[in-house]
Amino acid sequence: MHFLVFNVIDNIRSLGWSGAFQLLRNGVVLGSLYALIALGYTLVYGILKLLNFAQGDVFMVGAFLGYGVLTAFGGALNPEIGLVPLILLMFAAAMVGSGVLGVSIERFAYRPLRNAPRIAPLISALGVAFFLENSAQLLTGGYVYSYDALELGGKNGNLGPLESPVFSVAGNPVTVVQVFVVATAVGLMVGLMLLVSRTRFGKAMRATAFDREAASMMGIDTDRVISYTFFIASMLAGAAGVMFGLYIGTTFFFMGFLAGLKAFTAAVVGGIGSIPGAVLGGLLVGICESFAIGYVGGQWSDIVVFGILILFMFVRPTGLLGSRAIQKV
Amino acid sequence: MLKKVGLVAVLAALVSVVVATTAWGSGKPRVLAAATASVKCGTKVTIGVAYPATGAVAAAGANQWDWALTAKKLWNKSHHLKINLVPGDTKLDTDASFNIAVAHTFASNGSMLAVTGPAGSQENQDANPIYKGAGLASVSGSATRIFLTRATPGNPLELPHGYFFRTVPNDGEQGDAVAKFIHGTLKAKHVYIIDDGTSYSTGLADQVQADLKKDGLNPGRNHTTTAVVDYSSLITAIPNNTQVVYIPWQVAGNAQAFYQQSHAAGKKYKVFGSDGTDVPGTFEPKGVGYVSGFPVDFSNPTVKAFSKAHSGPETFGIPTYTAVWVNARAIQMACTAGHGKTTRTAVRKDIPKVKLTKAQSLLGFAVQFLKKNKGAWQGYGDMGGAASFGIYHVTSSGAYVRVG
Amino acid sequence: MSDTPDKPDTPDVSEPPPEREAGAQIGVDSWVATEQGRRARGGPLGALARGWESTPDAAKLLVFLAAASTLPFWLNEGDLFTYGLFTLLYAILGLGLNVVVGWAGLLDLGYVAFYGIGAYGYALVSSPQYGIHWPAVVAIPAVMAATALLGLLLGFSARRLQGDYLAIVTLFFLQAFLAFTGTANPTIAGVGLTGGPNGIPNLDPLSFFGYRLTSTKQQYFFLLGVLAVVAAAFYLANLSRTGRGWRALRDDPLAAEVMSIPVDRLKQLAFVIGAATAGLCGAIFAAIEGAVVSTDFTVAVLITIYAVVILGGLGSIAGVILGAIVINVSAQFLAPQSDHPEIKRWLFYGTVLFLVVALVKPWYRAAVSLLGAVALGFCVHAIVAAAAAPSWTAGAAADAGSGSTGKAIASWVLITQGHGNFDTYVYIALVVALIVVRSVSGWWRAVALIPTLYLIPVVWENVLAPNPATTALILFGAMLVVLMTTRPQGLLGTPRVEVM
Repeated sequence: MHFLVFNVIDNIRSLGWSGAFQLLRNGVVLGSLYALIALGYTLVYGILKLLNFAQGDVFMVGAFLGYGVLTAFGGALNPEIGLVPLILLMFAAAMVGSGVLGVSIERFAYRPLRNAPRIAPLISALGVAFFLENSAQLLTGGYVYSYDALELGGKNGNLGPLESPVFSVAGNPVTVVQVFVVATAVGLMVGLMLLVSRTRFGKAMRATAFDREAASMMGIDTDRVISYTFFIASMLAGAAGVMFGLYIGTTFFFMGFLAGLKAFTAAVVGGIGSIPGAVLGGLLVGICESFAIGYVGGQWSDIVVFGILILFMFVRPTGLLGSRAIQKV
Repeated sequence: MLKKVGLVAVLAALVSVVVATTAWGSGKPRVLAAATASVKCGTKVTIGVAYPATGAVAAAGANQWDWALTAKKLWNKSHHLKINLVPGDTKLDTDASFNIAVAHTFASNGSMLAVTGPAGSQENQDANPIYKGAGLASVSGSATRIFLTRATPGNPLELPHGYFFRTVPNDGEQGDAVAKFIHGTLKAKHVYIIDDGTSYSTGLADQVQADLKKDGLNPGRNHTTTAVVDYSSLITAIPNNTQVVYIPWQVAGNAQAFYQQSHAAGKKYKVFGSDGTDVPGTFEPKGVGYVSGFPVDFSNPTVKAFSKAHSGPETFGIPTYTAVWVNARAIQMACTAGHGKTTRTAVRKDIPKVKLTKAQSLLGFAVQFLKKNKGAWQGYGDMGGAASFGIYHVTSSGAYVRVG
Repeated sequence: MSDTPDKPDTPDVSEPPPEREAGAQIGVDSWVATEQGRRARGGPLGALARGWESTPDAAKLLVFLAAASTLPFWLNEGDLFTYGLFTLLYAILGLGLNVVVGWAGLLDLGYVAFYGIGAYGYALVSSPQYGIHWPAVVAIPAVMAATALLGLLLGFSARRLQGDYLAIVTLFFLQAFLAFTGTANPTIAGVGLTGGPNGIPNLDPLSFFGYRLTSTKQQYFFLLGVLAVVAAAFYLANLSRTGRGWRALRDDPLAAEVMSIPVDRLKQLAFVIGAATAGLCGAIFAAIEGAVVSTDFTVAVLITIYAVVILGGLGSIAGVILGAIVINVSAQFLAPQSDHPEIKRWLFYGTVLFLVVALVKPWYRAAVSLLGAVALGFCVHAIVAAAAAPSWTAGAAADAGSGSTGKAIASWVLITQGHGNFDTYVYIALVVALIVVRSVSGWWRAVALIPTLYLIPVVWENVLAPNPATTALILFGAMLVVLMTTRPQGLLGTPRVEVM
């Protein structure tokens, strides 16, 4: 075990400040992706007290929908329409498709279980996740599909405009797509917070989350509120899927599982039920993972992330920004 | 009271069951009755194909199965004795218990005379006792770890002679060829090796690392998993003066993602793949990449027809084609010698006698099996003769050109 | 103004009474719910249920043991291994999980980690890895003690965490275990502790006082004995104060605590028992397989064991055993190496037919749907064959050969050759159609069923039958959802009442 410590110190020294900044940058971008999915988890948990295990697979479906649109228009290397309309179309298709999927899942797998013991919707969610993953494997053949996003819009195999640097820190570039991902995550977080705190619909969401029975007695159509919440949460996951494809470049049927798990960690660490907590948790998980890979080594990174979560659960189970739940008798 | 009596009765019953168990049989391994049971050849014989139909490497497995079906079609067209393939899903790298279950099922299939596969090296080691007990030999098209045919210091295991053959050169040969190319031809001084956590990958990576160390280099080493696709931090950890990064990965799509992310991060090193990433059309490190793979002749009509029927020239499963052909040939020899009847043992003994020409094997070299150790890496069950790996350079248009 | 009062509307008798909403019933005492259910079920099924309830439990176990003991005499060795051994293994695993989830109500998603720790533990003490070769008599209790200890430690977390958080922590415990054994593989005493992706091979078979259990028959009988002991032990535990305490804890932990039931201790006891059972299974599994790899213990296995417990009925021992039989037999049957492709097809079509007849209530509606689907099929096939390229109808039904059945199927079902996107669209169309069927009722449902019933064989022949292994997993996931939404108590469980 002491070899590990020496290796870590060695790595820290050899990577230096430049390497540290790169790891930080990578962590922030990856963390923003996790944050997008975690926002979905948090929204659903806040309103239904349900851990939607299928969220990661909705993310995967969104990525494939984006891929479908990309190939329908000729693929990354020969796009038939301009770059910006193509990307907008990919996002639109993925977000609408994922949203519809999310609403259907809620309607058929969770709604009948509103009053069932807590374990039932969790098992149902596991079943949905399993179903989606294996259906995707069946339909896509298990192959890894490439967005070729890094060459999207570029000529002759050169990097496309998505990869051009926006600014540099000490010689380390931060590219367009990276800024885009982080900006979207933060922007959506702000948008969601405004939605929840300033609009009527947001008030309905908060009421339903607080006490569903009372809310429906007050004339709020709780079924509709819940459906819309699922739509928003799944839309976020779908958008995250397309962004994942544009940033990382690959989609495959199993990507939802690991991404979902890490986003889950993020939502819980940040305080499940809290919107800024999801983003904070996502950034934290992303940065930890990035530094773990860089300093400790690829094979320990998962353990580091999961270990952090388990420790967190013992020290502060409600997460960073979650509120202490008081159990009413 | 009645319940307690009932339960005591149950306990008594199970005690007697346990006693019956231990008294049953003497505990010695089962006699190889299945091995010498006579099987009528008739017009159709059965070969089992154990491959990963589902799971993490399902795409590679599907490729192996497609090539096996191609072998069956071509063999049945040109031979009087037809073959029938029975698939077995071993879920490589996903759920190892299925591999053992497949072995048991194949062993109990009375009409099965030979087995192609399993695909993974560890799977072969785990399933071999079962196949041996049933008198079956397994001919694998993708198990490349050295310890299966050749005991080495630190890895003294070796499968019993005559029960395991492979139609693919092993890690020692591939690793040697790669290390020689990196050190001798590319003349690289700073190399970084990343494996993807699978048994295939770690074996190859270890081999190349050891070879390069012997040449005086000090390659860096890191790991990832097949599920991870964001390599940005991994790329950051690679020292800036690295000239070649060797990634002997199982999934070509991941290798391509690694190349693209490296390219996007502005890195200039060459990306070197292995036969797992040998998929033209998917793994295309344009201009800066190399791959080691079988010296397949792409103008061969069978290979061309396969490429047309599927979405590209996928070569990972070609040794499985060869393995099925070897099994079929051995069964044919045994049936002819036995005048229409044969046993698993007879087929097993005929496998090392099978010889295929370069055109028949599709691998780019003629196939014949070794009967004793040869060189530093080869042992009983490996292919001898001209068996080798080729090194391909990936040009800026994505084409693979043989350079070594 | 009329002088005669309006005649009250007579109910529309042509409309069959709506099916009673299955699942949890509000405000109903659990004994009443079960009793009502029992009384309400008429006919042979009701009589069967009543007969089942009245036989003594010991008799049920003895009959099961007797029936199971005959299996090795009419199954060959390979089938005994896949159908027999693994059914028993899953049954014992299910019983352990039943204690944690079914009786104590703790959602433990890391159960399989203890299974794995048991297996690796056995592997470390009975293999050439470190040169330690303890006989099973010593190794198994040692492994069980180790897993019980780890269960105790994990159980500490159950004290502070409520339901969902516990699920999260246990799930991550499982992931950490997988990462540790599969990738991290620290080197201890010169050898990699867990063997990494290669695992630990060449394990010793189970040996008791000199007898080595090497044949499948011996292992089967041994497992049968273990199952009997475990089932009997858990049955007795359920009848005791501990069992009653668990049930109280599951239904309302706060009330239980107020009643001075030692809730924390009971939670930990449940965890320890579950972990020890899983450790026992792990050790036996390792000895049977001869090798352990981390991929033996993934989330897929977790979902399988959950499916076993849920299908059989949470909280019911007989249910768990029944669930294990159903799940394992169907999974192995659907695997590609079980060499009966035609049977799979007829089983599938037969099940669909049975479901339609059983669930679409007046028989004439079911008949309309079925006949309509057949007619639609012939029409579509004729139109496509006439209008489109031959590749759209050129495919042959997988494994039906070129005989009359194959031709009949190919002339009705649209089987394409080489149109990959068709598969995707038709699959998604089927899922959408099923959703539509579920959403409407009455005659609309019968009408919606017509294209759905045609799409089902199209999807089967084009997409599912060529990939039987993945199909099994898809059906698992779908079954979990359907079961939870229509009959959460499973086959043999008691309907639970959620106290509001």
